[in-house]
Amino acid sequence: MALPAIALFIAAIFFAVKKKNECWKWFAAGVAVQYITTLINTGKDELAGLISGTKADAVTALTGEQWTTCTVVIVLAGIIMLLCRYPRYEASQTLIASLLCVLGGLVIGYIVLLVIEPSGAFEAIQTILENFLTYSKPKSQMKYLGQTLVRTAPLLMCALSVLFAYKVGMFNIGAAGQYVAGACAALFFGLYFKAPWWVCVLAAMAAGAFLGVISGALKTFCNVNVVISGIMLNWITLYITNMVLSMDGVKNPMSPYTIQLRGVNPNGLLPQMDLHTLFGNEKSVTIAIPLAVIMAIVVWVVLNKTKFGYELKATGYNFHAAKYSGMKEKRNIILTMAISGALAGMGAALLYLTGIEEWETTISSVPGMDFNGIAVAFLGGLSPIGSILSAFFIQHITLGGSYVDTTYYCAQISSLISSLIIFLCAFVGFIRFAMQNRIRKRDEAMAMRKDMAAKGGSDT
Amino acid sequence: MILLLQYTLLFASVLLLVALGGCFSERSGVINIGLEGIMVIGALGGALVMKYLPVEFGGAPVMILATLIASAAAGMLFSLLLAVAAIHFKADQTITGTAMNMLATAAATVAVKAMNTAASGGHDVSSDIVYTRARDTFIVRFGNFEFNWFMLVALIALIVSYVVLYKMRFGLRLRACGEHPQAADSVGINVYKMRYAGVLASGLLGGIGGIVYITAGVSSWKFENGVAGFGFLALAVMIFGQWKPIKIALAALLFGFFRALGNVYTGFDLLKNLNLPSQIYNMLPYIISLLVLALTSKNSLAPKAEGIPYDKGTR
Amino acid sequence: MEQYAVEMLHITKRFPGIIANDDITLQLRKGEIHALLGENGAGKSTLMSVLFGLYTPDEGEICINGHPAKIKNPNDANALGIGMVHQHFKLVECFTVLDNIILGVEPVDKLTFLQKKQARDKIMEMSEKWGLHVNPDALISDITVGMQQRTEILKMLYRENDILIFDEPTAVLTPQEIDELMQIMKNLAAEGKSILFITHKLNEIMAVADRCSVLRKGKYIGTVDIKDTNKAELSRMMVGRDVKFAVDKAPAQPGEEILRVENMTVASRQHSNNAVKNVSFSVRRGEIVCIAGIDGNGQSELVFGITGLEPLAGGKLFLKGKNITRMPIRQRSISGMSHIPEDRHKHGLVLDYTLEDNMVLQRYFERQFTKKGFLRRGNIRQYAEKLIDQYDVRSGQGPVTAARSMSGGNQQKAIVAREIDKDPELLVAVQPTRGLDVGAIEYIHQQIVAQRDAGKAVLLVSLELDEVMNVSDRILVMYEGEIVGEFDPKQVTVEELGLYMAGAKRQTAAEETNDETVKE
Repeated sequence: MALPAIALFIAAIFFAVKKKNECWKWFAAGVAVQYITTLINTGKDELAGLISGTKADAVTALTGEQWTTCTVVIVLAGIIMLLCRYPRYEASQTLIASLLCVLGGLVIGYIVLLVIEPSGAFEAIQTILENFLTYSKPKSQMKYLGQTLVRTAPLLMCALSVLFAYKVGMFNIGAAGQYVAGACAALFFGLYFKAPWWVCVLAAMAAGAFLGVISGALKTFCNVNVVISGIMLNWITLYITNMVLSMDGVKNPMSPYTIQLRGVNPNGLLPQMDLHTLFGNEKSVTIAIPLAVIMAIVVWVVLNKTKFGYELKATGYNFHAAKYSGMKEKRNIILTMAISGALAGMGAALLYLTGIEEWETTISSVPGMDFNGIAVAFLGGLSPIGSILSAFFIQHITLGGSYVDTTYYCAQISSLISSLIIFLCAFVGFIRFAMQNRIRKRDEAMAMRKDMAAKGGSDT
Repeated sequence: MILLLQYTLLFASVLLLVALGGCFSERSGVINIGLEGIMVIGALGGALVMKYLPVEFGGAPVMILATLIASAAAGMLFSLLLAVAAIHFKADQTITGTAMNMLATAAATVAVKAMNTAASGGHDVSSDIVYTRARDTFIVRFGNFEFNWFMLVALIALIVSYVVLYKMRFGLRLRACGEHPQAADSVGINVYKMRYAGVLASGLLGGIGGIVYITAGVSSWKFENGVAGFGFLALAVMIFGQWKPIKIALAALLFGFFRALGNVYTGFDLLKNLNLPSQIYNMLPYIISLLVLALTSKNSLAPKAEGIPYDKGTR
Repeated sequence: MEQYAVEMLHITKRFPGIIANDDITLQLRKGEIHALLGENGAGKSTLMSVLFGLYTPDEGEICINGHPAKIKNPNDANALGIGMVHQHFKLVECFTVLDNIILGVEPVDKLTFLQKKQARDKIMEMSEKWGLHVNPDALISDITVGMQQRTEILKMLYRENDILIFDEPTAVLTPQEIDELMQIMKNLAAEGKSILFITHKLNEIMAVADRCSVLRKGKYIGTVDIKDTNKAELSRMMVGRDVKFAVDKAPAQPGEEILRVENMTVASRQHSNNAVKNVSFSVRRGEIVCIAGIDGNGQSELVFGITGLEPLAGGKLFLKGKNITRMPIRQRSISGMSHIPEDRHKHGLVLDYTLEDNMVLQRYFERQFTKKGFLRRGNIRQYAEKLIDQYDVRSGQGPVTAARSMSGGNQQKAIVAREIDKDPELLVAVQPTRGLDVGAIEYIHQQIVAQRDAGKAVLLVSLELDEVMNVSDRILVMYEGEIVGEFDPKQVTVEELGLYMAGAKRQTAAEETNDETVKE
């Protein structure tokens, strides 16, 4: 079993965070135990061969089942320990905190699996982490990697929506409703008006932005908390969307789902630009993926490099100072919510215009995409670029969950892990604060010692 | 008509219980977006008792009491997540609450599915719990009207909440912590303890609210669906009721009425002839609360210190 | 031997990089009023935090009524009979006076139900006895600051505290309320309560205290009997040198009119009355006009109106002859108005931005800092470095320091640098030296005078009479939203000004009749 190895790695991380040098010993011990257990698992025959053989043989023999998970843990542990050596950089603090959240989520998830059924727990967590890698053929791997990416794009958009608003001081829980509105507009334009894809995308963005503006206006003119208005609008939008998409010509009369876009309006689908050929001809691979990444970069540039971003962030950090310096603080808030809404709406378009999924008109709760978006945004350290990675990770384990052995477990174990990760993300501020505190204390202690030394020197 | 009254009272009971829970938490200074999640976990706790406790064992009183205790305990346990994160680690209360909502549904689904799978040897992989017989013990029939003991529970909760908040020492101190924790601290009140108490109270009431909700109209529950936004609706009721128990009760009745209308409007010729989709009725409470919020939020009556982690260092 | 209520002996409290209290001894006799004098940052509040158990001293001991005491938290202090009226009141706004007084020591029955009647009787009796008149059922948010302070005092008396600490109690009071407070303090001392009175106002010490201990830069300077000392000696002890009571400056040479305010009226956010009522005045090139008055008499709103943060309810504003009554804030700034705001954390700085980003807060949109919507980071850095150098703004990491991590004095310097370097026609400075140490105050005064000498118009709002008398060329006194007098600082005494500030005197009757016309 790999359990002892994982325990050792966790000990290593613990010591790394505690700033102890022992961490490397624990890490080494972890690696050693890992190798040994895997070697034992690969069978006596091979083991016999290995003892006499060279080290290169040993590495090639490591094709044991636990390889992926252990690699992930080794890499995670290694990265965290490496980052702990450079604690002063904000980026490395954020990364450490995020990785600790991921690790925490995985460990608790693993414990839950152990409680349900100990024998298959390790395979299950491994399956979740492997996702498309469970397929052995490279072509199917690429195909399912493609499917993961297709769903990563909308998730990333939702995360961008959340983090954009958050940077301007608002918690856009209403991104869920804006996403739903985007889905509604995209599908309605695609199915009812048979509009081309770009019109559908624009309509989705406009619908999301419209909801965002409502929230923003309620905030600036009526002092309604954005979280509260967002929650209300989420449900209102959900019911409206179900109504609109149940209309004739939009809903499939035989099922609760909307009509397949591919059948009635192929122009409504996002163009593929031959990207699908890279991913085992997975039809749903479209320009949505590069588009989402480009949007992430645009958001980063806008927030960090432009006058507009400077104004928005100033408004978010200190509403009064923004007003004092003559920024149009109310306009900025409404504009932020509009942009945030447009991003979420576009996210929905990037999913429903790929033809991979139809809207279920009897759905009774707001889709989790947005709430996952919150997880992604915080896991990504509230950075657009970090969000690209975290979006992929969350989507990766979510889809990985669908491959677990259903005789014991269910696919929701992934949702459990990702919600655990968000929960842990709430502690990110605390972790970073603790790290900064420790650095400060150490600096101060050093300064004090220097002072003492200087004084002692002058005495003599 | 009787059906409408019955559903109104039932839904109002749920909303009242959960909103009162939210009221305790927010009055102590902790925003509780996680009510939805607390309801799910509370419902799970209660449903398990209903499923596994034989009805013959002590009959209705034991069943009702055991269910209540189980859901309250489950809700409180789950609310500890918020308490620890928000009070001890000064985590962002909105993120924590959001995470709790997701966590609750995922955890409940995983747990129920695991149990069903294990019990059936792999045939039943649903997330349903069936509790038909146990549910019957909650109900007393007066002609066509089904009186549910939980309506009484909600009423008692209302009276107790009012008395505790306004007539007792605990309430005075709790409210002080939500308004001005520094002032409370300066007169020797332990703000952290009071906030824990507030959040735990919300877990207790939210948990009970959860079990009342899932047993309101049906005899089995699919935990994958969570509680379909009822926790959020309760949040709206709480704000609508301006964090005051009596006003919350009135708001709960109003919202419960609209919610019930959505369930039974087909029984009224007048409404049926309007031919509105049921979605409209579902939407109404949210639209009304949004409108009212827009009109009344200029001078917010929310506890002043809510959402701000209390740090002993800053005075 | 004398019996002391409180003895703090050789208290030393170190913080990293600073010794906040260095071997401080404070002895409070029973039944005396003992003043604790010191500037901001002298270590007064650290010492009080030690007494209240918020900090543990590194060295030294505390005796209460002659017995050594270990005070670990405020509850221990309360148990020893120590009570404090904090500078910022610790009152729950939406509670009644009664609820606030009993909070924490509520009279309850066995089931912890509140017994308010019992409490009310006790409070009524106390307020009768001490002359502290309050309405126990009024909400805190509805009563005056003076009443709130009485509530705080009643809180201590209700707990039967014998050692009463007043932290800067007069900062927010009108002169009449101050007189009343002084009388109450004397009564309390006469009844055997021991009072520690923290302040930096010499007049009040002379009026009420028996003895005075002085702290300076964390060190204990000495304790003197008030009857054997005078203000000059006390102030010398406080700042460590003879205080220059006058700022060196040449006589003003006013030029043409820069700002003209005509019949300005501004609505209040706090109450239904207007905060500024029909005010008219002008500021000329090369002069410093100072608005004097007690806090809360409409000065803030006056400035908000001039700078555009609040809309005018009536009247007109002219900057260099141009009507700017409805001009947006940004346009006013570009037209030559600079504003050093009253609250540097609320308005003056974006604390989560770096120092360099704060330095361009009023100019980031200019060509040199923004090109085609993109910030020109290099230019911003250069400009910030120039200002930091020129105005001696000190910070840990230079331009990239987070504004939040800077000291108050340097934050204020950064704001002053930003606003002055804009090369304004009119500089509006509101309490620019609040909470700063002597060095920083002198520096900022010099800068303001230098602006005047460079031909700028300066409008200074100050609550400190010393500042008013020393810096200004012309004084306008504001009382209840109106300007009740105009003076030349060389020809008026502080006492005279005080009468106007307290509303006891006003110069013209004409303004009162104008008041009526505004209301219609």
